[in-house]
Amino acid sequence: MTYDASAREERGAVPAAGGDRTFWGRLASWAPYRALVQIATATPRRQFLILAAFPVLWVLTQHLGPMLQMLRVSLTDAYPVAPGTEQHFTFDNYLRFLGDSIFWMPFFRTLSFAFVFTLCTLILTYPVAYFLARHVSPKNRMLLLLMLLIPFWVGEIVRTYAIMILLGNTGAVNLVLKWLGLIDRPIPFMYTSFSMGVGIVYLTALYMLLPLYSALEKLPKSLNEAAADLGAGAWTRFRRVTLPLTLEGISSGCTLVFLISTGFYATPVLLGGPSTTVFAETIAGFFHVAGDEWPTGAAFAVIMFLAALVITTLFQKLMTALRKGDAK
Amino acid sequence: MTRGNRILLSCVYWGFVAYVFVPLVLMVLMGFKDSKFIGFPIRSYTLEWYMGLFENAEVISAFGYSVGIAVLSTLISVFVGTWIAVLLEGRKFWGRAAIFGMTVLPALVPGIISAIAFRIYARYLGIEPGMGAIVWAHAVHNVPFVVLVVMARLSTLPKSQIEAARDLGADPLIAFLRISLPYLIPAIMGASIFCLLLSFDDFVRSFFLGGYEPTLPVLIFAKLKSGMSPEINAIATAALVLTAVVGVWAERFTRRMNKES
Repeated sequence: MTYDASAREERGAVPAAGGDRTFWGRLASWAPYRALVQIATATPRRQFLILAAFPVLWVLTQHLGPMLQMLRVSLTDAYPVAPGTEQHFTFDNYLRFLGDSIFWMPFFRTLSFAFVFTLCTLILTYPVAYFLARHVSPKNRMLLLLMLLIPFWVGEIVRTYAIMILLGNTGAVNLVLKWLGLIDRPIPFMYTSFSMGVGIVYLTALYMLLPLYSALEKLPKSLNEAAADLGAGAWTRFRRVTLPLTLEGISSGCTLVFLISTGFYATPVLLGGPSTTVFAETIAGFFHVAGDEWPTGAAFAVIMFLAALVITTLFQKLMTALRKGDAK
Repeated sequence: MTRGNRILLSCVYWGFVAYVFVPLVLMVLMGFKDSKFIGFPIRSYTLEWYMGLFENAEVISAFGYSVGIAVLSTLISVFVGTWIAVLLEGRKFWGRAAIFGMTVLPALVPGIISAIAFRIYARYLGIEPGMGAIVWAHAVHNVPFVVLVVMARLSTLPKSQIEAARDLGADPLIAFLRISLPYLIPAIMGASIFCLLLSFDDFVRSFFLGGYEPTLPVLIFAKLKSGMSPEINAIATAALVLTAVVGVWAERFTRRMNKES
């Protein structure tokens, strides 16, 4: 809301600057400052433009700029341009993706991994969120939630390393299994899609837990009670009442986790093996070597981003349709 | 809800708690192992690895480097983010949705792609890999979080307070600095801590935009690639303790401030 100067003058308000000897009073009565303010706030339109110019410039150049520049580089044949040569626009970098299975295999692997890990995260955290929202008294709820948040403050690398210690051949899981007499020699968990899954779910669980928790917390208990009064069993109540009404939380949690899962680089490098190379490693490969591979790397990053966007958009559309279908 | 379901639910809950905490506890413990080899069982304990941290110049310099980057990038993020939030909150104008979309974009781009895009753009702008590039990338990446937190708080500011200030003759800038800004302090503090932690723990952007000097996560990664050792446990534990302490303190601090105002 803008407050225009004329209305203020009509009401007879005067700047209270004269006798005000505080810092603010002195600033307000300082002539150059007042002149500047007068120029800046002469019209609501000008005032708005001054407020808006910097943010608009920032998001265009800093938020959108990198993405557009990546897109532009992905369509060139050489970057940076060597002196004495010309830069040409080409789709070759994108065609290169289709040409070789060492490129598109990791791509599809990444998408299917992200899909499976997202599903695992959902299945794991839904009961946790449900327990917190339904079976814990509101007083303890914040404390328990906060306790779960602490490990999530810790960075990606540290938590990945913690999983390495847990799952290694001489790790805690193998020690316990051996001690229980279930195995004679350690199970090689590490450097498989299993260890990668354990690591990635560990890193993303919070992004699923929080939307689910807030969706479940908003849900009035009376709905469930009404369904129970009408004779619905526990499973029916969950399937017909709780689940449809928390679809929004599920939808935003899954979208977030899917997007984040496709972007991990260090975790697959440390926890995965040669058979679990993900697309992030493929993309990174083009940036480790000399600069002339950058356009291909950029093109692959664009492919990855577009694929992730298309999939999450379709998913959101599907969830919206499901919600509408239930509302009828 | 039957009794069986209830027990099952609490089992899943405590299982999840174990999943979240046990790996970190084991990592801390392993730093006390009196051997060069990582692995269980731990037969004898030593403080050697943790004490060694204080003499390890490489670790200390990486630590300082990471903290410096975190502080600088947070200052930029908070300044820019607050400004954007003030523009977007409670105002209707042509293109608002587009600006909001662009504002949250960096938070939605998957890690590796964001790192690559920043790497390409840094070269386009002529920023050499190194501290400046990392600070810039972290600052841009963290802006959306500041915007969202500050906007949420700003939406609860009673409009009448600003109107009263304006009636008493305050110009929009002074009204903002003396009314809105103090009201926003809890949100800005919370967002700052969040940015500090995000920046301090960030790996992928620091890795692709860094020069020869590693940040702490990049140093841990580099050491891990050449093999695990209790030394890494000690370094990782130091990073963990710092983040956890700052995180918990911030949570309590912002809650207290929210209560007071």
